[in-house]
Amino acid sequence: MIKRHAVFWLYFAMIPLLGGCWDQKELTDLAFVTAMGIDKGTGGAAYNISYQVVIPANVASGTMAGGGGGQGPTIVVYNSSGNTLTEATREMKKQIPRRLYFAHTGIIVIDEDVARKGIMRLLDPLDRDVQFRTTTLVTVAKDYKAIDLISTLANLDKIPMNKIIKTLEVAESVLGESIQVTVDDIMLNITNPGKEAVASVYTMKGNPKKGISQDNIKYTRPPAVLKADGIAVFKEGKLVGYLEGESARGAVWLFNKMKETYINFGIKGENNAVSIIPFKSKVKTAITVKNGQPVANINIMSIFRLSEINTKYNINDPGQIEKLEKKAAAQIKKEVVSSIRTAQKYKSDIFGFGEQMYRSNPQQWKNFKTDWNSMFAVMDFHVNVNAYYRESGLKGNPFWNDTEK
Amino acid sequence: MSILSKLLKKKHSRKKNDNYRQKQDPASPAELLIQREYQDNLARMKRELGNSTDLVVREIKIGQNQGALVFIDGLVDAKTISEFVVETMMDKNIPNENFDIFQYALNKTIALGSVKTITNWNELYDLLLSGCTIIFLNGYNKAICGETKGFEKRSIDEPSQQLSIRGPKDSFTETLRVNTALIRRRIKSPNLWIDSMKIGRVAQTDVAIMYIKGIADDKIVQEVKTRLNRIDIDAVIDSGYIEQLIEDETFTSFPTTYHTERPDVVSSQLLEGRIAIVSDGSPYVLTVPAIFVQFFQAPDDYYSRFDLSTSIRFLRIIAFFISLIGPSLYIAATTYHQEMIPTTLVIAIAAQRENVPFPAFFEALIMEITFEILREAGLRLPRAVGQAVSIVGALVIGQAAVQASIVSPLMVIVVSITAIANFSTPVFAMAISTRLLRFALMIMAAFIGLFGIMVGLMLMSIHLCSLRSFGVPYMSPLAPFNGEDQQDVFIRYPLWALKNRPKYISKGNRIRIGENQKPEPPNQSSADKPGSGKGNQE
Repeated sequence: MIKRHAVFWLYFAMIPLLGGCWDQKELTDLAFVTAMGIDKGTGGAAYNISYQVVIPANVASGTMAGGGGGQGPTIVVYNSSGNTLTEATREMKKQIPRRLYFAHTGIIVIDEDVARKGIMRLLDPLDRDVQFRTTTLVTVAKDYKAIDLISTLANLDKIPMNKIIKTLEVAESVLGESIQVTVDDIMLNITNPGKEAVASVYTMKGNPKKGISQDNIKYTRPPAVLKADGIAVFKEGKLVGYLEGESARGAVWLFNKMKETYINFGIKGENNAVSIIPFKSKVKTAITVKNGQPVANINIMSIFRLSEINTKYNINDPGQIEKLEKKAAAQIKKEVVSSIRTAQKYKSDIFGFGEQMYRSNPQQWKNFKTDWNSMFAVMDFHVNVNAYYRESGLKGNPFWNDTEK
Repeated sequence: MSILSKLLKKKHSRKKNDNYRQKQDPASPAELLIQREYQDNLARMKRELGNSTDLVVREIKIGQNQGALVFIDGLVDAKTISEFVVETMMDKNIPNENFDIFQYALNKTIALGSVKTITNWNELYDLLLSGCTIIFLNGYNKAICGETKGFEKRSIDEPSQQLSIRGPKDSFTETLRVNTALIRRRIKSPNLWIDSMKIGRVAQTDVAIMYIKGIADDKIVQEVKTRLNRIDIDAVIDSGYIEQLIEDETFTSFPTTYHTERPDVVSSQLLEGRIAIVSDGSPYVLTVPAIFVQFFQAPDDYYSRFDLSTSIRFLRIIAFFISLIGPSLYIAATTYHQEMIPTTLVIAIAAQRENVPFPAFFEALIMEITFEILREAGLRLPRAVGQAVSIVGALVIGQAAVQASIVSPLMVIVVSITAIANFSTPVFAMAISTRLLRFALMIMAAFIGLFGIMVGLMLMSIHLCSLRSFGVPYMSPLAPFNGEDQQDVFIRYPLWALKNRPKYISKGNRIRIGENQKPEPPNQSSADKPGSGKGNQE
């Protein structure tokens, strides 16, 4: 009896050992990949993959004991070619002394050329990998190669990936000209018959050759700066064009993701005399079928505050306020219309009108499903914008009212 | 574990046999009686006590009779003896007639609060060695015993272990009578019963069981008595001996009895139906049955208002978990689950660990063991060298260790917060148990990461649920769940809402507080303005 007990407890005590340090990986054995670039391959290969790997010791502040203080660049970029993502990644391990670790990858940069050819073959490995998160953002490198973008050092953030992500975030929430798109979003939209995928766009201001040197962050005006630049429109997994400026803002309105932006318009014959900031918005889209043709009815409600008003104007007068509101609404409408027109030109229903239709009227949707994008390209739409003036900032009437000249 | 218990059993049984061999044959009743000749008695006493030098024998003459006064020096109050025994006995006015001088001495000459007649040597030794004065009179086969206890004792101090911001500041001493008095002074009820017994074949330590009749569960009282009676040991030096001999489960790191040095805590526990075991010579009083949640209830909880007590209790529970799984979480997160740490932090940790040659587990182990050494050393330090050690300690766990690339700065933080969190557990016995389990969890985390921690915690919960303290499930009222008793588990209800005594512990009188005890502002509108009390009527 006692023997049996002893054996039991002995076995029991050994259970933890069975794991054998399963999957154990010390931090110092890992190469944290923070960003991934996908370019056209060299020498016949389909892709050239580049990884931005963090050098932790250089990220930590100089006073850190043990780390020795960072002197070199905070990242190192490795690249390798291959016909598949897996091939290129495994090939790269010839160059890297540590295990690549993808759980902290924040962004994937896809080169414009690769995107135009199609991103379908890039998605499965990203989706399937254990470490890789599908919440990783996707962006398209416009005019520059992806490897150039992920190699550029940034000033405010020691890890350049953070700069890219945060810039996107701010551009979305304060400017409303960009949008954060994750791998997950893209997969969802690609598989959705009533919607097409979009991605954010990044480009560079300056010289990519200088961005890769640590000198880049020594200047007060860095020679190479990354900047978010509109929205990339995909159709059936292939990049077909971009939305920029006004039409990008219009798209963000339609995605119902508008948090804050700016709107300029003229009053009393003075161009761009007023700048307002919409800060609370709501967009409702309804698709109806009229005479066998789909029609989109878009209702936008927006509350704005006054940011500038550079002329004599009585903003305490309800009649005058109504004028402001009408102008603002007209401007918003102009942006939205321009956005839809551009998307129609690309024949890509990035706004998900098809999906809306499917939701509200699945029977009708069956008729349009097969050739939805061409239907979308010619469909009619009505935009109705209601803008409401709610805040004037710290001042009431502008100082212009007091000038006698 | 099982082998160990078997071995212990074997050892134990062998000891028992030895004891039987040593045990003297019980003396025949005749031999135990006190003799008529007082000189014979004195001689026997001196012989049996081995002529111990603290035995004081003073021969006196009371009236016409020869007699002797015997006491142990140091256990008695010499002043009491000289004033109330010797002086009165030597009174010249004792009548010279031939009458029962023994009764006279007993009734008239000894001016003590407690006197009694004894005829038996066993009883005589018991009383003599606990500070009584024995008076032999020639010609009587009995002796007078006068209560003259008066040994040096420590005065009542502030508690040294279980401190509180608010509440009484007295604590138990080493003297049983003082301790029981401290409790009785708080509960002036005839239902507070004290049962006494002597434990320890050699030392004959006084042990008192205190409980409130009608509130405590009689079955548990009986169980406590049975377990105490079962104890067969040479001496009980501290209540810790009793604890280890009566607890339900030896092979657990969790305490199944509660000990405290605070009379207020014992009183409130008696009022909850618990039973206190006071042992002479120990300033720690045991209370049983003890349940898990009780170890997170500090006396302060009941003296300050309920919202504060509740939030502080939550803090204590958080601290318990930090001290339990702090280092193991660090190990698991940095060696298995790097994806769980925010990117910036994981890179910062990686930078810190860049020059540390050890795996995270060894790093944690080194620091934890170093800290445990420091703590243990700090406990036993002579006061004079205390400062030196704390300086050295600060160097070992701190900047120097980091600069020497033995540990990373984050590890220092983890060890420090773990250590500090550990001290927030109100009862040391529970804190030390967490300390021990922490190492087990660290090993589990090192092998299989968070999964290991979860397995460890599950095993711990299973074990906790299997424990019992004097028949009461250790995890009650959580498992088995009892809604009524939740009023004092995580949330300490307002005092007026703490209606009942714990269900599993007290039997009989379970209502703690009357109805409508919720304080309210005076009913002004009806008192001051009769007729306008419409709102109040509703």
